[in-house]
Amino acid sequence: MTVKIVTDSLGDIPSDVAQELGITIIPLTVHFGEEVYRDGVDLTTEQFYQKLLKSKALPSTQIASLGVFVQTYDKLAEESDEILVIANSQKMSASHEAMVEAVGKMKRPCRVEVIDSQWTVMAQGLIVIAAARAAKKGAGIDELTALTEKNISRADVRMAFETLNYLEEGGRIGKARAFLGSKLKVTPILGIREGETFPFSREHSRARAIDHLYYFATSFSHIDEMAVEHATTPKEADALAKRLKSQFPKTHIYRTMVSPVIGAHVGPRVLGVAVLGDRG
Amino acid sequence: MTPTKSIDGQDLREMFAAAASWLEKSSADIDALNVFPVPDGDTGTNMLLTMRSTVEESQLAADHSVSGVAKAMSKGALVGARGNSGVILSQIFNGLSQAMDGKDAITGKELADALAKASAVAYAGLSNPVEGTILTVIREASEAAQEHAATVSDDIVSVVEATVNAAKESVAKTPTLLPVLMEAGVVDAGGQGLYTILEGVLHYLKGEMEQLKLRRPWMVASSIPLTAKAPQMVGAEEVPYGYCTNFVIKGEGLDPDKLRKRLEKRGQSVIVVGDDSAVRVHIHTLDPGDVVSYVVPLGTLHQINIRNMDEQYRDFIEMQKERMPTVEVAIVAVVVGEGLANVFTSLGATFIVPGGQTMNPSTKDLLQAVEAVSSEKVIILPNNKNIVLTANQVQSLTEKTIEVVPTTTIPQGVAALLAFDYEADMETNAQNMNKAKAAVKSVEVTRAVRSTALGGLDIKKKQAIGFLNGDLVAVGDKPDAVVQDVLARVKLDEVEVITIYYGDDTTSAEAEAVGDTLDKQHPQLQVEVVQGGQPYYNYIVSVE
Repeated sequence: MTVKIVTDSLGDIPSDVAQELGITIIPLTVHFGEEVYRDGVDLTTEQFYQKLLKSKALPSTQIASLGVFVQTYDKLAEESDEILVIANSQKMSASHEAMVEAVGKMKRPCRVEVIDSQWTVMAQGLIVIAAARAAKKGAGIDELTALTEKNISRADVRMAFETLNYLEEGGRIGKARAFLGSKLKVTPILGIREGETFPFSREHSRARAIDHLYYFATSFSHIDEMAVEHATTPKEADALAKRLKSQFPKTHIYRTMVSPVIGAHVGPRVLGVAVLGDRG
Repeated sequence: MTPTKSIDGQDLREMFAAAASWLEKSSADIDALNVFPVPDGDTGTNMLLTMRSTVEESQLAADHSVSGVAKAMSKGALVGARGNSGVILSQIFNGLSQAMDGKDAITGKELADALAKASAVAYAGLSNPVEGTILTVIREASEAAQEHAATVSDDIVSVVEATVNAAKESVAKTPTLLPVLMEAGVVDAGGQGLYTILEGVLHYLKGEMEQLKLRRPWMVASSIPLTAKAPQMVGAEEVPYGYCTNFVIKGEGLDPDKLRKRLEKRGQSVIVVGDDSAVRVHIHTLDPGDVVSYVVPLGTLHQINIRNMDEQYRDFIEMQKERMPTVEVAIVAVVVGEGLANVFTSLGATFIVPGGQTMNPSTKDLLQAVEAVSSEKVIILPNNKNIVLTANQVQSLTEKTIEVVPTTTIPQGVAALLAFDYEADMETNAQNMNKAKAAVKSVEVTRAVRSTALGGLDIKKKQAIGFLNGDLVAVGDKPDAVVQDVLARVKLDEVEVITIYYGDDTTSAEAEAVGDTLDKQHPQLQVEVVQGGQPYYNYIVSVE
């Protein structure tokens, strides 16, 4: 019996990939005033950014209600007696908390393991995808838990930001606060450390920022899979993915977009690279 | 009293006090001895301020032997050193002190040997000693002193006379050793300063008090019209931190070293000098009451002075600390101009020491900044070629670990700062910052303070002159045109980012116009115009 894999929509896993690998994604919600949209379900990233530009108020985001988590678990428990739930970093979202709480409210008996991925965006997504692939090949839940724990230390991500205002507004700025208020026009490169936003570098031009992302990826000696993510700049993402492909011809590179909920926190023109691999 | 056979500690004190007064009379003239006709690092002022600190510390020395006084002077020179000449002067006092160690008084021969030691220490302190500078002057003067003492007379006055004569010849010769001096038609300012100090010593030893009072030092370079200008006295040397607390403890069996160690736990910028019967204490503390009650049992307190330092400044620092992630490594940057200071703090500099081309901070200014930041590891960005040596001295005065990234321009400083990586350790950061600083080109445009011919350019006073990486390459009537002229020497097709910092005598409209022109000519460039607010320099431009 295949272990069911569950995650939240902050992992930015493309829906076709999720479908193919049988990953259940519980969407968060985006609120523009009184309009509510389910992340990536009722609202695409393109639609989100169009609305963002027109909207007077900044959008807010919320995790799904507890009932949605419970229902999702119970439904999966009809098909399997083991569920692995991989959550967004609990320092960034309440998703993990709800995922844990929902286990106790389930009606069906089923073993559910909830793991804090300590990541977000495709760094989280790649960890989930790896678990789903292994589950499909018949790995048991203990094996999957061990694999996931190991992959948490093998994932990494860097993102070039156009502005840090959205991160600050949304309270996800973390230690990247140090990069706020720059009097020069710089492109901050942020990543995640110990589950929190971390300031890695500032580049003086967009071109150098993209170089930084490229060299970040090439600093890995081996890469299982990687992802190039963008918000509103598909051409840049394509060009970067092409560069990376020539450096890593055998590595699968997902070309993804940040989800609307992520978009609400990172703003436009974000470009990132997520990697699951080994350094040195 | 005119000692001839030997000098003791009191003589040493007084002769250098006289030398400082003598130097003061010509410090403005020495300031004017610039190679480049730019508002410069004021060598005369820097040496004078270094001498003042030297003399002040010598007054505090309770040990009246030459050994004790020289030690105090060496310390005073070290903390008061400003600019490259000030730092080298402090090395000279360091050498004198080493040679005089353990002696009550010294003879003419011993003085000559001490000067030779001073020369050796000054050379040893520099990784790349340049001839035709103050170094040549101390070396040649000390050689003459040793030769005179060995072959002519051991009489102090005659030894010093020989020293001064040799120093004068050596100064006159500096343009033949250093081509830039020749081209500018000036002697080396630091050399002139040292000669003046030695001459002041000689006047004192000869008992020529009238001379000292009424005459003025002789400037070795006389063919150059000297435009005397007011020395830029740098006020407020203190970096504020809580209360600046000063007092003298008198008592028995006092132990200044032990006291210093104890007080270092109670505040910052601790200076403790004295002996077992009297100790002067200077400390920046948030709780002066705590310090005072700690020392009261040790003896009686005198000259108590507690000042509340600028509260805004403290708030500013606190705000900086809050903003910073808890990093292990702090960055102290030397910057002048409000806009530039904002740029540096906005990019994560922990502490700004005001200073630059016309205002060189002392070692003590930098030391206090280093002590004020909460990190144990500190990177210093001097951002000026005349501040690098001063920054290098800080390590010897603090227990914190210091790395100096020897940035010599503002653009280099910004590039280095941007390369700072919050994840990396200090060593890696210093390497990355050095690499980043090397990748940037710096353009500076200022007004000539006098007419001269240099680098094949005919320069009239008040004309705009442009530097590329420190080399004078362009002159013109309008700063805007000179900026363009300098930039035309750079392959702009290969450049990505240009940042224009305009000074306090340039309008934003003028600067924007320069930026627009660049934008039109080179659409691939990212041009940014930033208010720098720096004095004297119409434009500082970073080319990356």
